[in-house]
Formats: sequence, structure tokens, C-alpha cells
Amino acid sequence: MKNMLIAALVLWTQWAMAATDSTTIFVSQILHDSEKTYAIQQLVARQDPQTFALLNAINNKKLYLFNNEAVTTGEKNGTSSYEIYSLYPKNELLVNKNGQPLHTSIDALTVVEISRADRLLLNGILPILELFSPEPAKRMLAYGQLKDSHAPHRIEMLQVALARETNTDALRAGKDILYAIQLNTTTDAQTAKRYIDSLAENWGDNAPVFLSAYAKSKKPFADYAGQKASSLERKYDYLQKVQNLFSGLSLGSILILIALGLSIVYGLAGIINMAHGEFLMIGAYTTYCIQTLFTEVLKVPYTDLLFIISLPLSFLVAGLLGLLLERLVVRHLYARPLESLLATWGVSLILIQTARSLFGDLTAVKTPAFLSGGLAVSPHLVLPYNRIFIIGLTALIVLLTYLMLYKTRIGLQIRAVTQNRNMSACLGIDTKKVAALTFFFGSGLAGIAGCAMTLIGNVVPDMGQTYIVDSFLVVVTGGVGKIVGTIVSGLGIGFFTKILEAFFQAVYGKVCILLFIMLFMQYKPKGLFPYKGRLAED
Amino acid sequence: MEKKIYYLLFIAFFALLLPAGHLMGWVSINTISLWGRYFCFAIAALGIDLIWGYTGILSMCQAFFFCLGSYGIAMHMLLKTSGSALPEFMVWNKVESLPFFWVPFQSFGLTLVLCLVIPSLLAFVIGYVLFRSRIKGVYMAIITQALALAMWLLFLRNETGLGGTNGLTDFKTLLGLPLSNTYVKLGLYLMSLLLLCVAYFACYQITHSKFGKVLQAIRDSESRVSFTAYKVMDYKLAVFVVAALLAAIGGMLYAPQTGIITPGRMDVKASVEMVMWVALGGRGKLKGAVAGALLVNFLYSICTSLFPDSWLYILGFLFVITVLFFDKGFVGLMDNLTKRKEPCY
Amino acid sequence: MLLSVNNLAVSFGGVQALSLSHFSLQPQELRVIIGPNGAGKSTFLDIICGRTKPDTGEVYFNDRAIMGMTEVSIARLGIGRKFQQPSVFPGLTVYDNLLLAAKMKKDILSSLFFKPSQLLKARIHEVAEKIGLTKVLSSIAGALSHGQKQWLEIGIVVLQDPKLLLIDEPAAGMSDEETYKTGELLLELSNNHGIIVIEHDMKFVQQIARERVTVLERGKLLVEGSFNDIRNDQRVIDCYLGRNNTQLENL
Repeated sequence: MKNMLIAALVLWTQWAMAATDSTTIFVSQILHDSEKTYAIQQLVARQDPQTFALLNAINNKKLYLFNNEAVTTGEKNGTSSYEIYSLYPKNELLVNKNGQPLHTSIDALTVVEISRADRLLLNGILPILELFSPEPAKRMLAYGQLKDSHAPHRIEMLQVALARETNTDALRAGKDILYAIQLNTTTDAQTAKRYIDSLAENWGDNAPVFLSAYAKSKKPFADYAGQKASSLERKYDYLQKVQNLFSGLSLGSILILIALGLSIVYGLAGIINMAHGEFLMIGAYTTYCIQTLFTEVLKVPYTDLLFIISLPLSFLVAGLLGLLLERLVVRHLYARPLESLLATWGVSLILIQTARSLFGDLTAVKTPAFLSGGLAVSPHLVLPYNRIFIIGLTALIVLLTYLMLYKTRIGLQIRAVTQNRNMSACLGIDTKKVAALTFFFGSGLAGIAGCAMTLIGNVVPDMGQTYIVDSFLVVVTGGVGKIVGTIVSGLGIGFFTKILEAFFQAVYGKVCILLFIMLFMQYKPKGLFPYKGRLAED
Repeated sequence: MEKKIYYLLFIAFFALLLPAGHLMGWVSINTISLWGRYFCFAIAALGIDLIWGYTGILSMCQAFFFCLGSYGIAMHMLLKTSGSALPEFMVWNKVESLPFFWVPFQSFGLTLVLCLVIPSLLAFVIGYVLFRSRIKGVYMAIITQALALAMWLLFLRNETGLGGTNGLTDFKTLLGLPLSNTYVKLGLYLMSLLLLCVAYFACYQITHSKFGKVLQAIRDSESRVSFTAYKVMDYKLAVFVVAALLAAIGGMLYAPQTGIITPGRMDVKASVEMVMWVALGGRGKLKGAVAGALLVNFLYSICTSLFPDSWLYILGFLFVITVLFFDKGFVGLMDNLTKRKEPCY
Repeated sequence: MLLSVNNLAVSFGGVQALSLSHFSLQPQELRVIIGPNGAGKSTFLDIICGRTKPDTGEVYFNDRAIMGMTEVSIARLGIGRKFQQPSVFPGLTVYDNLLLAAKMKKDILSSLFFKPSQLLKARIHEVAEKIGLTKVLSSIAGALSHGQKQWLEIGIVVLQDPKLLLIDEPAAGMSDEETYKTGELLLELSNNHGIIVIEHDMKFVQQIARERVTVLERGKLLVEGSFNDIRNDQRVIDCYLGRNNTQLENL
């Protein structure tokens, strides 16, 4: 297969060499002359891959002159500066002396005006042109469209494009199409079987469709293609399920991270802390502030270390603010859950508005390099590192919480107060101090959750609201004040949500979850792991 | 005796003085309409007082029932406005024919019935499921809140066929009367006031009957009520349905006066705020519910025009301060100030 | 037989709270149940009135199986319960407390359109007289003293006119004089009702235990007999608060 590609490439380059001179002249005409129609027509007719980047820029209205060279803009950097790419004779990212990408303001570029009529000349070769787009996503789309296109030399073009392809996903998508076209055009039975195998091994997105379409034809090895198609489909299905489970695990661990603090605080003090989500927000803004402080104010270059130190600091900041809330408001409301619900709701309004006036509506934290990207188990199963990190973090925090509650003195006191406040007080436990400490700890956990949440989303003032109702559902379903309950119901709700989302849309999935929980409560009105006994009633 | 004077003053001010002021040109029709909307909120607040103030059940999905009423009447008005054509938002969403559940709303009578029956029925089903398994207190609050969230998300979707995020708007007539007309607005205002008075009277009767006493008994000691041979669930269910009904009535009057109803009216925040009206006004007292709804919304109008950014701060502080220091609310504060300690019930 | 119980067992989190092979009560019998803390006395009453679901066992009330019925249905059959912690409606007046309890139709519509008859009013005043709360009829129940709340709760149970009264520690928190009056009240009630009383105060037990006394220990029936038998039973003395039961020996 590779040999064929190389052979095609060699042929093309030889042919192109002969024509180079006149091509250069046409390019120069496009850039500098007022009459461009003829030059564009010529370039379109020649279909020289070397000029495709340039033609593509024309098509996208992004052709500029920079230092008398044809360039186009790439990714935006900051407010008005862009990366730039040279277009002809070479198509590459321009760099400065230090080898860093060159960033240029759009004002430093001279626009090359191409009339609409001239641009329309490109229409005939658009499907092919897009194959040479600088963006992998567009290239993937272009490959897909080539399947049904009747553009001349599409196979040859495809081969050339694939020879230049650098992105693995795009390469897979392109090969998918290439093999499919070749399979459908070949007349030789053995070649057909080879293409069927290639299609199956390539793991392209559309391979099952192509193969099952081929299986319906009366061509040789149709049955073989059918078998391959169904085996591929099974594999994809299976991988999709694994992906869903992983998403469920990830959602579940986020819910656990948030609900853990809620559950402990509610179990111990009878406080429904509606502002819990806002401590998550505070944790996220702590992370943001640390990053801004170091990179913007102290001008320290960004390192991943900043995120690592943000984790404990988020805990501390959120925890201390939680302590402040406990001193000011919550301590008046112990064992009055409904009142505490309303009062802390008020607090959450104040906190959100404060965050909004301090930070504006939308900010984001840079994801550390070691957490970007994902673990590609297979082309169809990519587990993002940030999600894996959150799952690991949750496991660690659950473990630490467990050790704190069951292996330390303060944990023993917390459990004692949770079960019987008055009795604990009689035994000399300072219940107020224990409650305050618990509140500190619970808020701190939310802070860590907030820090982790910056990995998967923006930092916005009302980010805590997204998960708060769900987390309360986790607490209620799990049984109040029980770590095991929180973990089981958190994971359960996470999994069920993602599994239902696979069948319905997200919203209907949510409605289903709620109905399910309401039904579940018919049998277990006090949650999965209720406290038992005569005292526990009422 | 003195108490009756307050009622008369209230009615005289809103039923005579304010409309008269408008006819004299002193009060703008927008102000009148604004108070009309506050009355709708007050009707819903009465329901919340019944269920939370008297029975002690914190339901956090009352805004949803309110919106059911609003959406119902808005669907009817929208259909009348667009005539035989499809409502505009459906055209944008490429809906080909009228969804089946829109069809009954072409008739005004049916709309009225459905606006009352659907919320009651839903409340009955939800209440039945929740009360049957003896879900109460915090659990009840959280589950109803989750319910409000789920319904809100559902209404946000375009596929639901209720206008998605933009909600329903651009309705022009009700019963053939143009909604933009000043006298129609005045009529709606008076209608709201009348229904508020009727609802108040009905709630007064309910709370002063033995039924009302059972409700308070449930709030104070649910198990004792059971052991005294009252079916607690029946009573809870009844009051939950009545509260939903009152919310829906408020909602029905609300939509024609605002000219728009969006899912924003029924998000989680909206329900909590409604509960706070009652808490701020003084729960367990019908006066408190009405006073709370009117005062908070009046304050909202003033604050958003004077200092737009500070409303959430003010509301937040009001929440906290009321719960911490004035758990009897505004009415309780007034009673204390005037030193007339009358029994609450 | 007003009440008979067979093979009743319940455990909380692995602890056997009650395991009673047989128990029965005649109509118009006043039975006192005693036993140390954690003997399962209150749990026993909880099971009879439907508050706690037993793991196994049968309870017959007037030859009718009542296990699995709701508290309300059991209450409607005629079993009234007074709790250890006084359980009244603290937000209502004493009069309303009694009014709600009185035997009548208790569905929603009847409650909504209820008008108290002269007969009912007279009955409430009569009971109020008996429990000594006539003077405080219009005060809020939450404002009563502990002893008054105990009486109010007894009044509530009496007004329900049940066939069987389950009374949990009626004398707790009462002065000697109040305790004595309570005892007389219970004795009078036993002329028309079956009564089970749980009590720790031995003087009070002696006052009211005209018939049999049941002793529970660790969820099991220890012994049943007259007060004098019980007082002299070595097993009871051994189990009850250890070997040195001053209360029993002083009598």
C-alpha cells in the first residue's frame, strides 16, 4: 500500500517540477497584478498540490502579503495577534529567531483582494482543495465528502494528500475513504479482499458502513465484508459502552467530591448548605487567582506546579471562608435544616454576585500540560487525562476522609456528634468546635472539587449551581452522613445518568434519573444506608 | 374590630385609590400592571404559606406549578393571536403541524379547565409518590427542588414544543380583548385583586377550620396526628394540591399581564425566592404571605431601577437576616412593634 | 382476649431488641410492664401501635391480625398510644388538642366542614376536668409544664375512646401528688378500657397493679405475676438494676 502511495507521489513531483516556473509566475500574478482571472484559471487547471494551500487561502478570504510573501493566518493568539503560515512555495508556520511561532497583528498584513467572480473559479476543485486545508478537522470533513464526489483524479489527489497528512485521526479518516473507493472500483477478487482487510484494520469511523454496503452487492467476498462489518460494529459498540462507563465514573466522582462535604455537614449538624456549590466556585477562583498572580503580576513563567500548589490552597481558602460562614450564620441554625437551607441560599446569592463583580462573567484556567490530551486506548476509546486525574483525586480524598473519620480522634468525635449530639456533649465533647471543624473540612473539600473542576470547564461565578442539586440528590439517595452511601449513590447516579444519556438526550436522562430516585425512595425512604434503631426514628 | 379596618384600608387603597389615581393621570398604567403581577405572586404565596407555613412541608417546586398556569393561558392566547397559522416560534423551529397537546388550548373554556386540572393532577401524583413513602423535611425539599430543575431543563428544550429558552410571547388578545389596551390592563389588575381577595378568604376559611388545625398539628407532631387516627397523607396531599392550584391560578393571571412567560420563571431560584417571600412576610400567617410577596417584589422593582447591581446582595442579606433574626417575618415584627400579642392562629 | 401476641421478634442493627413468645391481655385489664432500660418495653408498644415493623411475629387485637397495618388503621381500630416523651401539638391550644383527638369522622371533608356539637364540647370539658386542665384550655399547649403535657397526652388518648390504651411512663417528671392522681385516673379508666402501662416508679406500680405485672429483660419475658410475686422473685431482683435494687427492697 505504502509503495503505491510513494509511486504516485514521485510521479506527481516530476510532473510538477516541469511546470514549476510557470506556476511561480501565475502565483506572482495573483499576488501582485490587478488581472488575476487567467492566473487562477491556470492554477485550477493544473491542480498542483503545491499551490493548494494558496488557493485554499483565496477560498477562505485569508490571503495576505507579509514581507512580500504570500501568507495566511493561523490560530489566534490573544486579542488581535495571529500565527501566520507561508503559502508558496512552501506551506509552513513562520517562526522568529528563537524558533518560537511568530505572532503578528492583523494590521501588519496586506490583504490581497480577490474578486468574488475569481473566487468562484475555485468551485470545481473545492472538494480537493479542502484536502489541503491547514485544519485537521476540515481535512477530515473533506476526505469524507470525497467519497461521493466525481472530481477528476480524486484517488490520486487523495493519495497525495494522505502522503502529506500529519494528523493521525485525519489520516485514518482519509484511508477509510481511499480504501472504500478502491474497494468499490476494483474488479479483482483478491485485491477486493485485501481492501476489505485494510478497511477493517484501519478502524475508520465509516468502515462498518462501507463494508456492509459492499456486503449487499453481489461482488466477490461480499459475505466476508459482511462478517468484517458486523465484527467491527460489535467492537465499536463495546468501546462506546466502555467510554460511557468511563464518563459515568468521571461524573460520579465529581458528584462524590462535592457530595462528600455536604453529607458530612448535614449528618453532623443538620445543616443543608445551599452555598456549598459556591465553595466549589471559591476553590476554582483560588486556582485562577494563583495562576494570575504568578504569571501576570509576578511575571513568573507558567509551570504546571502552579496547579499542584492550587489544590491545597483551594482547600484552605474555601475551608477558611466556610469557617467564617459557620461563625457568622450557620452556628445559629444547627439542627434546623430547612431554615439553614434558606439562609445559606441567601449566602450563595451574595457569594455569586461578589464573584461576578470581582472577576466578571467568564475566566478560564490553563490546564497543566501533563493533564492535557488523553490516554488513547484505541482510536475509538480516548480517556482524557484530566478526567482520569479527577477520578484519582476523588479516590484519594475519599480514602483520606475515611482515615480521618475512622482512624483519628477528631473523626471519632465527629461520628459521635453525628449519632447523638446531646450524649456527645455530656461526654465532654465540645460539639460546637467539632461542628465548626466539620464545616471547615466540608467546605475545603468543595474547594478542592472546584480546583479540579477548572480542568474540565470554565471558571464562572455560578459554576457551583450546576452540580448542587444533583449532589443533594446523591446525599439523600445515599443516606445522610454515610460515606459509603455517598460513594455508592454518587457512582450510581453518575453511571445511570451517562447510560441513560446514551439512550435519550441528556435532559430526558435527567428526568429519568429523578423518577428512578423517587421510585427508589418508595422502598428506602431514608436512603441506601440509613441509621437504624428506635432513636433514629422521627 | 381593628383588624377589619386594615383589611378595608388595603382593599380601598388597591381597588379604589390606585385605579382612581390612574384615571386622574397620577399613576401610570405600568405601575398598575406591575401591582397586578404582584397580586398574582401573592396568590401563589398564599399556597406556599398553606403548605409550608401551616403544614411545615417545604415544597421547592411551586414556581413550576405557577408556570404551568402561565404556559397554559399563554398557549391559548398565542393560538388566538396567530389565528389559523402556526405560532411563529414553531415556524422557526420547523414544526410542521400543531403538536397534539396544543390542540385543546384553542378553546378558552378548555384552557381554563386544563390550567387548573393539569397542575392539580401533577401535584397529586407527585405528592402521592412522595408522601406515600413518608418523604418529609429536607428530603422533600431536595426532591421537589430536583424536580423543579428537571422540569426547567425540559421546558428549555425546543423539542418540548413550548418555545424553549425564549418561552411564549407576542400574544395580543385574550377573549378578543386587546391586551395592550389600558382598560383591559386595568381590568386584569382588578381581576387579580379580586382573586387575591377570594383566595385569601378561602385560605382563611381553610386555616380556621378543623382541617387547618390538623395541618398545624401535622407541622408540630406528625406522628401524634397519625396515632390520633388522622390519615396524614390525605391531608398533606390535599394541601399540596391546593397549593399547586393557587400557584397555577396566580400563573394564569400573570401571563396576560406580562405578555411573556419563559422557563426563567420556573428555575430552581424562582421557587426558593417564592418561599422566601413567605418567610420574609411571616410564615404561618396568611397576612404574612401576602405582605411578603408584595413587599419583596415592590422592593425588587425599586432596587433594580435605582441600583441594578445590588439587588442580589440585598436579597441575599434579607434571606440571611430574616432567617437568623426575624423568623416570624415582617408581620411578626409589626406585631411585636405594636405590642399587641395576639395568638397566631 | 383483647390482645394476644405470638413469637414477636425485632432487632436493630444486630441487637435483638425484642423476642417475645407470648403475651395476652383481657378486656378491662390493667397490665403493668416493668424492666430495666433496654428491655424492649417501648419497642413492644411501638410494634403494637404500628410504629415499628417487627421482623417476625403476630399480633391479634380482638382476634384480628393487625401486623402490617398502618398506624392510622390501628388507631382507628381502637388502640391509643401515649409516648414516653410527651407528644402533643405544641402550636395548638389545649382545647384544640383535645378537639382533634376526640372520636369522630376524621377524613378531609368532615374536617373541612366540622362544627363541634354541644355534646362534644361537654365531653371535652369533662375530660379536661378529669386531667385538671380546665383553667388552661385556651393556652398554647407548648407553654404547659412537663406534667401538664403528660396529662394532656393522656387526655388526648382518652378522648379517642380506644379499647386499648398503651401508656408509656405516665408518671415521669411528676410530683408525688400528681403521680398519685395519675394512678387514680388510670384505675378509673381501666373500668372501661384495656390498658398497658410501662413504668419504673415502683410506688406507682404498686398503686395501679391490681392484677398482673409483666417483667421484660433484654427483650425476653422474664416473669409474669401479681405485684407481690414479682417483688419477691429473686430473678427479678437479680436482673433489675443488678443485685442491689433498693427500690424493690424498700417496699
